[in-house]
Order: sequence, then structure tokens, then C-alpha cells
Amino acid sequence: MPERKKQTKTSDRLARMLVVVPYLVQHPGTELTQAAKLFDVEPKELERDLMLLFMSGLPPYEPGDLIEVDIDNGCIWITMADHFARPLRLTRNEALALYLRGTELLAAPGLAEASALRGALAKLKEGLGQDTLGETTNRIQPAEAGRPAELLESLRAAAHDRAQLEIEYFAASSGEWSTRVIEPEEVFSTLGNWYVVSWDITAGGERMFRADRIRRAEPTGVTFTPRGLAGAGRALYTPTDRDTPVRLHLTPAARWVDEYYATQDQIETRDGGLDVTLPTARLGWVAGLLLRLGTDATVLEPPELAERLRDLAERTLQGYLDA
Amino acid sequence: MEPVERLLNLVALLLEAGKPVSFDRIRELLPEAYGHEDSESAKRMFERDKDLLRDYGVPLKMEATDIWEAEQGYVIRKDEYYLPEISFSPEEMAALFVAAKTGGQDVPAEQAVRKLLYGADGGVLAGAADGPLAAGPDTPSSRLLAAADAAQRSRRLRFGYRTSKGAVSDRQVDAYAMLCRGGHWYLVGMDADRLEIRAFRLSRFTQEPVDVGEGSEPPEGFRAADHVRAGPWGMGEPAERARIRFSPEVAWWAAAGLQGGAAEPVGPDGWQVLSVPLADEPALAAWVLQFGPDARVIEPESLRAEVVHRLEQILA
Repeated sequence: MPERKKQTKTSDRLARMLVVVPYLVQHPGTELTQAAKLFDVEPKELERDLMLLFMSGLPPYEPGDLIEVDIDNGCIWITMADHFARPLRLTRNEALALYLRGTELLAAPGLAEASALRGALAKLKEGLGQDTLGETTNRIQPAEAGRPAELLESLRAAAHDRAQLEIEYFAASSGEWSTRVIEPEEVFSTLGNWYVVSWDITAGGERMFRADRIRRAEPTGVTFTPRGLAGAGRALYTPTDRDTPVRLHLTPAARWVDEYYATQDQIETRDGGLDVTLPTARLGWVAGLLLRLGTDATVLEPPELAERLRDLAERTLQGYLDA
Repeated sequence: MEPVERLLNLVALLLEAGKPVSFDRIRELLPEAYGHEDSESAKRMFERDKDLLRDYGVPLKMEATDIWEAEQGYVIRKDEYYLPEISFSPEEMAALFVAAKTGGQDVPAEQAVRKLLYGADGGVLAGAADGPLAAGPDTPSSRLLAAADAAQRSRRLRFGYRTSKGAVSDRQVDAYAMLCRGGHWYLVGMDADRLEIRAFRLSRFTQEPVDVGEGSEPPEGFRAADHVRAGPWGMGEPAERARIRFSPEVAWWAAAGLQGGAAEPVGPDGWQVLSVPLADEPALAAWVLQFGPDARVIEPESLRAEVVHRLEQILA
């Protein structure tokens, strides 16, 4: 349906122009590349949009009635566009979506921007009024949970400045502390925890670290060139061909494991539970997980994991018998 | 003439006119746009443009052109069109920019922040646009908006839901509030069939919510946070506490993450005791067990017995 496609494109383009033009009127001399970045559009396309503006204006559309656009040395000047000097109001959906995303970010623990964000949301609420944004007090709330990472700000600064770090890290999968040199590329929060996507110089590979398990982080003085590692939105665990396929049966009470970890080959079972494959490079942490799940999970394979679980349970129980 | 050009001219014309303009007059003023010889097809094109503008939120209205109401015209009122002035500090603006990117691809949120941008200092923002800081859960923004809208207007929603234990059923819920915790959004409301206030995680909806009518108002003293499980120890802030010893290897990060937990001084052997709120004994026992031999319950005795019982079951 070419007609429909064209329609969508027109409305996208209109939407963009009705916000880009007010910005450029208010910020004379903005660089084309910077504006393109802010509004998430290709510089070429933005330039095409601006060329179109030349033709628009007010009746009777004599030269003096038309919007004037100057692009000089890569910088943009727009005049004769007073009627587009302020953007269109936010729709209720837009205001609500932004408020929700802001609230979501406030629920991420230990964020430096939290007070600025709280202030911004309050202004948004007051400035737009209930007609646009609706009732928010008691209706839309963040609840802080998860672990505030003490070093979050140092890690973010390092990612921003491309500064290599030496860190002390607690690996839950092995239960050990280690010292490693990393190049932090991106810091993001998901499921209530902060993560640092890095190139691990010590291990010679890409690694993701949980920020709250980093006890110490010091710049080595070396700056690095980012490799463009995939950041936010990626899976928390990337399976490799060196993984041990762990097959588990989860009873209904343990189904959360399937929501929390990247499992494969899920099969619904008659008891309302699931059989899943959990790809992992180390069995140690899976044994810990199984200890937590107790009778809510059963190891189907490998037999080695069942052994490890027994061993771990015995050692843990011993602690109680000795005391 | 390009469609966007025609639309921009129409918006400018109706904004600046200050009073309703009849369609015939619009044809005269914008001959290149609607000057077709066949007035029917001109009208059709105008209707399409008008719908497109309204869809995008342009308050294009039809009103009488004079007090005798003999003729209808079209107008865009400036006070309805223009964004009210809200001045944000550069830090606030940067924070909003980051927030809009929190949910990955969220078109309405990003469009909102771009509209707010016009009054801000661009230099600061160029940095904020660098990359996402947070990746929210992958709840579609349309579902999030529908649930929040219902909570704001006290509506009743029907949706399919899968509990954490895997049971799928149809729910009818009077929406009271939306709460974000641990990276997940929850809808808290009165389950109309069970007559209890419950929390529903949006990522567990199996069918999109449908508005089925007016809902009820939350009871006096309602707090959304009371209904969403807070941590390994269960809901709310219980009075009773458990004391647990942690090995030097895990004490640091067990303590760092425990909300409401209090650390006692490190013992001579390097082990450290943390006191933790206790509401849900089985849940806390499970949480302690993930640390294996690196954590040991001191008290209460019932929790200690629960942990030992679970270990014996595994070994049985």
C-alpha cells in the first residue's frame, strides 16, 4: 500500500518540523550536525526539511511573507517564522509517556540526576496541568529497590571520559574477588541493577560487570578507543559454544527463573512447571541458585551439577552443625 | 506542492488568522494547496489534512465565522496550540532527555522531550544525547500508557495475566496506581473477582488491557508500595528482624544491597552480622541459601530451622 506508506512519512516529517523549527528559531546559529543529533535525524534529511520551509509562510506568499532559512558554514538561521517560534503543546500521551519514563529512571537506585529529574517532573506536572498530564500524585510512583552502586558515578564518568579502570570485582558465579583492568564503554540499569559493559583487558574479551559488585575502581591513566560494544537492551548473558547445557525442571514456584535468566528450549510440564535449558559457562553459581530453589527445582542434566549441589548443601549444613 | 509544505501553510494560516476561516476562503488563500477545479476533491484533501493534523494533536477546531452562525470556519487558537512556557535548568532538561531514552524505543516520550527542548541550552544536551543510561524492561509503551491512563482516571481494565507461578487467567481490575520497582512496572488495583488489592507486573500481561468501564476509588490510606513485594524478606517493613552472619567474601556486597538491613561490626574472624527485616520466612531462607556456606542464620530459631530443613530435603 504505497499510499499508506507515504501518509506515515508525511506525518513523521510534519511532527519533526513542528518541533525542530521552534528550536532553531530559539537557537540561532545552531550547527546542522548538532541539531540532527538532538532530533535524531540524518543531517541530509534535516537539510531537505529546511529547504521545504522556504516555500512556506503566510498569505499572500510574496517573498516577504515566506520563512527565511540560511545555512551558512554548517550553521542554521531561521527568520520570519514567528508563528512557529514555540512548539505545539504536548499531547496527553506524550506527557504521560515522558512522566512514566522519568518515574522509571527515579526507581533506578543511586542515580546522580535524581534530584534534577524530580525537579523536572514537578515542573512538567505544574506547567502542563492536570488536563494534559492527568492525576499523578499517588497514581504513578517510583519505589526504590535494588542495590545502589557506590561507585556508580565514578563508573559513569570513566565511560564518558573513555578512561581505563582497574577494578576489584566480586564474581557471583565463582564466589571470588579479582582485580582486573577494564575499558568501560557504557553504564546502564536494568531489572533494578546497574551494569557496566566493558572490554576486559585482563581476560582479553567483552565482559559485563554488575556495578554494585565493584568494590574499588581507579583510573589507570590510559584512555581508550571504544569498540562500540552493544550496551543497554542487550541480553544480560551471551551464550557461547563453551557453555555447559544445564537442563532443569522448575516447579510453578520456581518459574521466575525463566523470567530472570536467558533460558532456552522451554517445555511446559504437566505440574504447571517448566523444563528449561540454562546455558552457562560455570556450574558454581547454578549450584547456588539450586540451593536457593530447594525442592522447587530438579537437575535433569548434567549429573555433575547434581553432585555439586549435594556437595554445596553438605558444606552449608556442616556450618550449622558445627556452630 | 509537497504535502508537508501544504500542511505547514495550513497550520500557519489558521494560527495567524485569529478567527475562523471558511473553507472557501482557505481555497482562495491557499490556491496551490486546495485550488482544485473540482471543489469536491479539494474538500476531500482538506478533510484528510485536517484529520492528520488532529491526530498529531493540533487543536484544529470548527467554529461559526460570525455571531449569526451562518457559516462555519476553521481555526487554531494560539493558547491551545502553543506549549506553555516551562523553564527547565540545563540539568533538568538533560535528565528528561535521559529519561525519554530509558525505555528504549518510546516514540511519545521522545517526541515530548523534543518539544520541551526548544527553551533549553543545546550545548548541554548534545552530551545527554550520547547514549542511553538505562534500559528499562521491554514492556511496550502502549501497554504502559494504557495502564497508567486507567490508574489516573480510576477505570476498570480487563487483561490476560500469567502469575509468577505460571497460571494464566482473565483479570478484571480497578486500576488504582502504577508503581515501578526493581526495573519492573506494576499495576496495583482491586481485583474485581477476588475482591482484594493486588499488584500485577506489566511484563506478565498475556493480553493487552481493555477498558471495560468505570472502576472504584482506592480506599482511605491506600499506598501502592504496600502491595508490591519489596525484597527477599517480603512485603512492607516488618518489625521483626533476623540476624545472619556472612563470610568476608560475600559480606561486602550482601550489606551493600540490603535495603533496611543494618550491619554490625566485623568480627575477629572477618565474618560480619547483618540484621535484616523479616516478614516472609521461606522467602528469606531461600535468599540466605544462595550464599551457600558463606552465610549462616543466627536467629530467630524458626528461620534457622527452616534453612536446615531445606538443606536436609536437598540431601534426602
